[in-house]
Amino acid sequence: MNNKYKILVIEDEANILRFVTALLQANNYFVIAAETAEKGLLMFTSHHPDLVVLDLGLPDRDGTLLLQDIRKTSPVPVMVLSARSEESDKVEALDMGANDYVTKPFGSQEFAARVRSILRSNRHSAEEGKLPGGKFTSGEMTIDYDARKFYIYDTEIKLTQTEFNIIALLSEHFGKVMTYSAISKEIWGYFDSGSTKKLQVNMANIRKKLSLKPGENKFISNELGVGYRMH
Amino acid sequence: MKNNSILKNTVHTIVILTCAFFLSLLIDKFFSASGLVSAIFVLAVFLVSLLTQGYVYGLISAFISMLAVNFAFTFPYFEFNFTIQENAISAVILIAVTSLSCALTAKIRHHEALQTETEKEKMRANLLRAISHDLRTPLTAIYGSASTMADNYTTRSDEDKLTMLTGIKDDSQWLIRMVENLLSITKFDTDNVKLIKSSTVLEELIDSSLSKFHKRYPDIAVEIDIPEDFVTVMADPLLIEQVLINLLENTVQHAKGFTRLSLKVFTLGKQAIFEVKDDGSGIDPDVLKTIFTSFSHSNTSDGKTHSMGIGLSVCATIIKAHGGCISAENDKDGGAVFRFTLDLEESI
Repeated sequence: MNNKYKILVIEDEANILRFVTALLQANNYFVIAAETAEKGLLMFTSHHPDLVVLDLGLPDRDGTLLLQDIRKTSPVPVMVLSARSEESDKVEALDMGANDYVTKPFGSQEFAARVRSILRSNRHSAEEGKLPGGKFTSGEMTIDYDARKFYIYDTEIKLTQTEFNIIALLSEHFGKVMTYSAISKEIWGYFDSGSTKKLQVNMANIRKKLSLKPGENKFISNELGVGYRMH
Repeated sequence: MKNNSILKNTVHTIVILTCAFFLSLLIDKFFSASGLVSAIFVLAVFLVSLLTQGYVYGLISAFISMLAVNFAFTFPYFEFNFTIQENAISAVILIAVTSLSCALTAKIRHHEALQTETEKEKMRANLLRAISHDLRTPLTAIYGSASTMADNYTTRSDEDKLTMLTGIKDDSQWLIRMVENLLSITKFDTDNVKLIKSSTVLEELIDSSLSKFHKRYPDIAVEIDIPEDFVTVMADPLLIEQVLINLLENTVQHAKGFTRLSLKVFTLGKQAIFEVKDDGSGIDPDVLKTIFTSFSHSNTSDGKTHSMGIGLSVCATIIKAHGGCISAENDKDGGAVFRFTLDLEESI
């Protein structure tokens, strides 16, 4: 019982809360629920969950503000639930430190998979990703941070400096959607109107070097108009 | 845009008046019939009011014409004279003709606007009717299955319940897609809502669309043929993604007996051309004519598969809002081809 992951779900719509709770319980997680931002923050400080599932459209307070409060004290992974009308808030939430987002309406399988991946990746970065000089391995990918080399299976993929920096950055935030601006700031130190295009050209070259086909959704997924995620 | 129309109106006015002036000079020289001259200027003023917007150009031309007639074509020639009663009367007539014809054109334009508005209204009503009809079927099934299960929970077999639950799942998935389409349409429901086009990487657009399509139809392979180069188009990426998914999905649901489904994109001049092609039964010629405008092509005779309903008309709305073209045709080798165009991003 005690070694179950603890997930705090903050969602005001009873039907969605009920189904998300049931789904998470069925996947063997321990669920704490809150219907308002105020109660959510209270639950967060007293329960120390392993993951927060946060609806952006809460009745008492903007979800992004709650996210800011959480980020002040904790690096806990946060998954944002957004309705389509809140699309622009999504990028804002990611830039404020949310790890992933799911757009409503979402399917149960997709949701469960995201939760699994977010919890797994959090372990990843906690154990290895942040360690300088370490190695990162996920499935077929291996990144040697020290030697600045990138392998698929055992074959080295030759990357330019910038391309390697992007790959390394995404791997350090494995599973997390990184927005165009977040990546640009890390890689080039600034974000302006040309940055996104520069990043997209680099990503196109990386995809070519990995010989990824459109729709394959391997290694790195691209979130249209938002950014990239390694998975 | 506004400056453009001012320029156009001014050019129209000047051209017509100059023509009238020289025509009058000719006539005056060869026929010396001054009655004709007034008639020509009346016609000119009438044309100006017809071809320009508002009263201003018409009134200005009337004034100029009056001066021209007075100056060049009435006694005393090539001299202004406002004391002769005849000239004053012809001036009044010119002004009257102008005002009346301006009023008349305004009325016609208003009438035309009203008519397009009515047509839009009619289309909206048709759309609403089609949607309500399309929504009722899955909703009835969901409501029916759920209440049957709740009321007879202990008496129905597990297998039975699972079948009903699967039905509920499928129907609600269909409803979700329907609502996504509706949301896209409401984005341009009002004319003043401008589409936000951004530079979109073609490969990423195709990648994202296909990932979503594969999630819904994991068993259906799509052959991809896109340019090797780094190509960007100007578009709202999420809306174009929806167009691509709708077109692919339309094939899955309507192309009977297809074995290959392909998505090809190539560039031609300043445009990117997208092609979704299958080798199925093709499109019924009767349906083809109205395929993007009729909301419910319920020619799915089995009645089991839902019609895409508004899917294709959503595609047309989105592409038109982008300033592109969309078309559908039957390929000479069999199967259907859907094609649409988007502007490439101009390289700097």
